Amino acid sequence: MVIPTSIYYLFTPMLVILAGILAERAGSPKIRDIVAVAVSALGVVFVWTLYSALKAAPENILVFSLGGGPPLGASFEIDMMGIFMAFSTTILAFFATVYSYNYMEHDTRLTEYYTLLSALVVGMIGVAFAGDFFTLFIFWEMMGIASYALVSFRKSLWGPIEAGFKYMVMGSVGSTVLFFGIALVYGITGTLNFAQISTVIRGQPINLWYYLIFALFVVGFGVKTAIVPMHTWLPDAHPEAPSPISAMLSGILIETGLYALTRVIFILFEPSFFKVTVSVLAALTMTLGNMLALRQDDVKRMLAYSSIAQMGYMLIGVSTGLAYGLMGTLLHVLNHSLMKGLAFLSVGSVVHETGTRDIKRLNGVGKSMPFTSMAVIVSFLGLGGVPGTNGFVSKFILFNAALGADMLLLVILGVLNSALSMAYYLRVIMVLLSGEAEEGLTAKEAPLLMVGVTLVMAVLIIVLGLYPSPVVGIASKAAESLVDNLSMYIGVVMS
Amino acid sequence: MSRSNMIRILLGIEMILNAGNFVFIYFATQHAAMGVVDPLGQSIVFMSIVTGGCVVAVGLALIVNAYKHFKTVDSRELRRLRW
Repeated sequence: MVIPTSIYYLFTPMLVILAGILAERAGSPKIRDIVAVAVSALGVVFVWTLYSALKAAPENILVFSLGGGPPLGASFEIDMMGIFMAFSTTILAFFATVYSYNYMEHDTRLTEYYTLLSALVVGMIGVAFAGDFFTLFIFWEMMGIASYALVSFRKSLWGPIEAGFKYMVMGSVGSTVLFFGIALVYGITGTLNFAQISTVIRGQPINLWYYLIFALFVVGFGVKTAIVPMHTWLPDAHPEAPSPISAMLSGILIETGLYALTRVIFILFEPSFFKVTVSVLAALTMTLGNMLALRQDDVKRMLAYSSIAQMGYMLIGVSTGLAYGLMGTLLHVLNHSLMKGLAFLSVGSVVHETGTRDIKRLNGVGKSMPFTSMAVIVSFLGLGGVPGTNGFVSKFILFNAALGADMLLLVILGVLNSALSMAYYLRVIMVLLSGEAEEGLTAKEAPLLMVGVTLVMAVLIIVLGLYPSPVVGIASKAAESLVDNLSMYIGVVMS
Repeated sequence: MSRSNMIRILLGIEMILNAGNFVFIYFATQHAAMGVVDPLGQSIVFMSIVTGGCVVAVGLALIVNAYKHFKTVDSRELRRLRW
């Protein structure tokens, strides 16, 4: 059991808060921003070193525990799927932090902001790497608490406070439901380790308790994942948060919920057990998300509803129960984190410069902000699934997998939903490019750093759309590590 | 949970969490080995108390700020965000 040094990245929020306090004392707060950016860049390096260590490891799994054995320490099991999630997280976190440098410069209390942001990132990485429910729950709560505070960060306005309170109540009830589910699993098996639980529960005849556990997990993870009956916090919380935080929440936090749900239900149950439930949830989520997005005039709120719809597409992949479908889901997680991250960041630039989120008032803004508008257009076309962007690749794989699993109805619904979603994406693009700017609405191009980040992300979207094979390869290995190689995974952990 | 007072809502959440803690403690006694209660069940209860405390801290901070904006702790007044 060798502990990779790079795992100590999980303690970096401490570094950020220390640097923040020292920099404020020294009277040069810019140092703190630079440290925060450096720490987020370090995250990408950290995931890369772990990835190389993982490739060198036998069976492609790293198992170790931090701070002693299971009752006292946190145990980690890093496999390809966790690495894939952590990679998506750190990449988006880097972009969001660099973007915050200019976006948040008029705000105060930035030490708290950067510390919470880095705690959020570390929480999500921890969820991705967790090897037992103990570790999973701690990092889950860490991610949740950081996000409640970040949503209501601008406490001088009433909107963030109301949204934050709603999110806090729903999120913590969700975590409590999850805690009950963990308690029942612990009651049945007497352990919290994923692999040991899997050997006890998986493949057993289904009884009432298993249905209850499944329901508790779907509700508990589903609140953060914004699966439809539990989605009501999302359209309030995402628009009210500062734009980089909206990008983090929409781009990767809800996907982390989906990742945890996927990992847990695949480890506990056979795919045939949850197939029907998850596909019904998928259909509901994408249809309702798109329908409600159509009638929004607030552009960030529209994007929030579109996130709900995209979660529906991702659930299609989970409901197939095949490695190919799960590969589509993982690919869509990475692609969606880039696309929705870019959408929120570039729309954030527009909001930052014009001061309004109302689509009807944004006429002709594109002429005065050409680069930002270009980024908006690329991200919206990607979200709609236009060929040439990465959104097309992952949606194609998802629908293809559903066809392979004989779920024709879900595919038809998905394609219809994709077409429907283009209606509201095209509306924004049309408004930005056509017409004359409103009287008194002055817009100029956003600061260089913000434009730079959005353009880099736009280029990434197109590159991954035209040349997806490297990412597809990693995603496919990641999906296989969970679905096909589950017995090998258990064997490595138990030995 | 069905009360409209925000502080009562927070208390309700804490009570549900405590119920979960008790479930864990009960199961920990069921999985006792060699006369010793299973430490795993107890350690997760400690962690859950800590995280529950953090949630309450954030929640109370939100309530204070909500009071500053809305001049009430009645959650029915927080209805300006719709659709």
